Amino acid sequence: MLGPNGAGKTSTLEMLEGMNDIDGGSATINGLDVSQNSYEVKKIIGVQLQANEYFDRLNLIELLILFGKLYSQEIDPIALLQGVNLAEKANAKPEELSGGQKQRFSIACALVNNPKVLFLDEPTTGLDPQAKRNLWQLIKDLNSDGMTVVLTTHNMEEAEYLCDRIAIMDQGKIVAEDTPQNLILKYAPEPPQAALHGNIEDVFLALTGHELRD
Amino acid sequence: MFTSAQLHLAKVFLKIFLRNRQSIFFSMLFPLIFTGVFFFSGGPPDPIKLGLVNMSQSTIASQFTDLVIAEPSFDVTKGSLVNLKEELIIGDQTAIILIPENFTSFEGTADLSLILDASQVRQASAIQETLNNSLLTIERDVRGIKPMFNLVVEDVQARPQRYIDFLLPGILAYMLMNLCIAGSGFNIVEYRRRGILKRLFVTPIQPKDFIVAIILSRMVIVLTQISVMLGLAIMLLDINVVGGLPSLYGMVILGTFIFLCIGFFLGSLAKTQEAIQPIVALTSFPQLILSGVFFPISSMHEFIQPIAHILPLSVVVSGLRSITNDGMALFTLNSTTVGVVIWMAISFLVAIKYFVWKEVAN
Repeated sequence: MLGPNGAGKTSTLEMLEGMNDIDGGSATINGLDVSQNSYEVKKIIGVQLQANEYFDRLNLIELLILFGKLYSQEIDPIALLQGVNLAEKANAKPEELSGGQKQRFSIACALVNNPKVLFLDEPTTGLDPQAKRNLWQLIKDLNSDGMTVVLTTHNMEEAEYLCDRIAIMDQGKIVAEDTPQNLILKYAPEPPQAALHGNIEDVFLALTGHELRD
Repeated sequence: MFTSAQLHLAKVFLKIFLRNRQSIFFSMLFPLIFTGVFFFSGGPPDPIKLGLVNMSQSTIASQFTDLVIAEPSFDVTKGSLVNLKEELIIGDQTAIILIPENFTSFEGTADLSLILDASQVRQASAIQETLNNSLLTIERDVRGIKPMFNLVVEDVQARPQRYIDFLLPGILAYMLMNLCIAGSGFNIVEYRRRGILKRLFVTPIQPKDFIVAIILSRMVIVLTQISVMLGLAIMLLDINVVGGLPSLYGMVILGTFIFLCIGFFLGSLAKTQEAIQPIVALTSFPQLILSGVFFPISSMHEFIQPIAHILPLSVVVSGLRSITNDGMALFTLNSTTVGVVIWMAISFLVAIKYFVWKEVAN
């Protein structure tokens, strides 16, 4: 889900996660109507929020066990941490982690219930290029293992690299939705210049305008 | 009865509390200070330091002077007015009594001057009262008159009636209220502000689970703190819980429930950590005054009494006091226990109904 600040990406995500009331239309996850079965939906989704803070004075293992318990599940915290490449930080507190490590840990928390759908809200915002690439690889791996990943971003490169389908949002509406390739074919400026400069950012600006947001 | 998620969450909250050394230290400090103050402030009061200047040469004056010196509640220094005044100003004397020249016979009334330093003597009126009483007794001795009566005070139920017996249940209840509101209200605002609550509630737990877990963990903490306070009070202050400890603990548990739920409600009312402070002060301070913690509600103005009686702190104070002082059992049906049950219901309902977990302050 690609969109400028304030486009409604997070609100849409929160509606899908059963946290906000759906004020128009409907949403279905794995055949379950979200507004009717938000409790059941929460069992099969994993969520990483923009603000990723945790209880004080607990280390990563204790936090993961706690999240497992909230789904009434016994989990293997070390295996989860290995999956996000944080096994050596098992006894650290979240506040001792770097930005990229924190994001990887919040994904580990979102994976405790082995979800069918993983929601990531701007996972790479504020990360350096190395941490960003590392996280992209993690997301790709999860996806190729069969997990559906829904993520929001305003990073064009990220959308182009990670996504099979992109929905471009503006002012609470989806203004375009397709594969990256089709979106470029359809909206990017025509050749001759287009062949050199056409990318998803051009598509984005063509659809949402050039004026500053926020 | 409890789900494994609730129990685990309660255990985690307890762990978080136990790892916070500072909060443990301060939560144990209050009971120690409180019992310490009452323990060390017991016993007879120190004698009043009294300067005495005798301007009269009469035998009556010297007889009177001897009796004043012999009086145990005074520590008397005889001397000249000039010297004693200097001592009074620097604080070595509390007051000076001046016996005038005309203090010569039993006829007529002589004026004894009492010189005080108002800036130093905060309890001037209390000292004057003690002085007046002692001097009247001395006068009787000088005149050789026997007192007409003695005032002997007895309680109708032959209970010990020290102020501490009245005060302790009130302080216990007040302590309970503060611990609980801080434990639920302050925590919840902080957890919500940092988005921790939001993260919890994208998992399949419900506000009820969260509230039950905090109540369980706080119950353990509060019961420990109250036990320390009570243990010290029983050992050092000779407090006697007439109604028995099980009833007392039962009432403490019910009170904890009420105040934790009120804390949740206040925590949902306040959007920020800055707002929770005045909101809590506004609910706890009037209750401290109006709930009969320090003096009985029946001594208040009549129009305030009906309101004072129905406050949550009042019902818990009067419940605890009935158990410690009057030997009430927990399951006695009277206006106090009915009040406790009504407040449990009200506080739990508002805590659940108004529980806010998803607003994150930006």
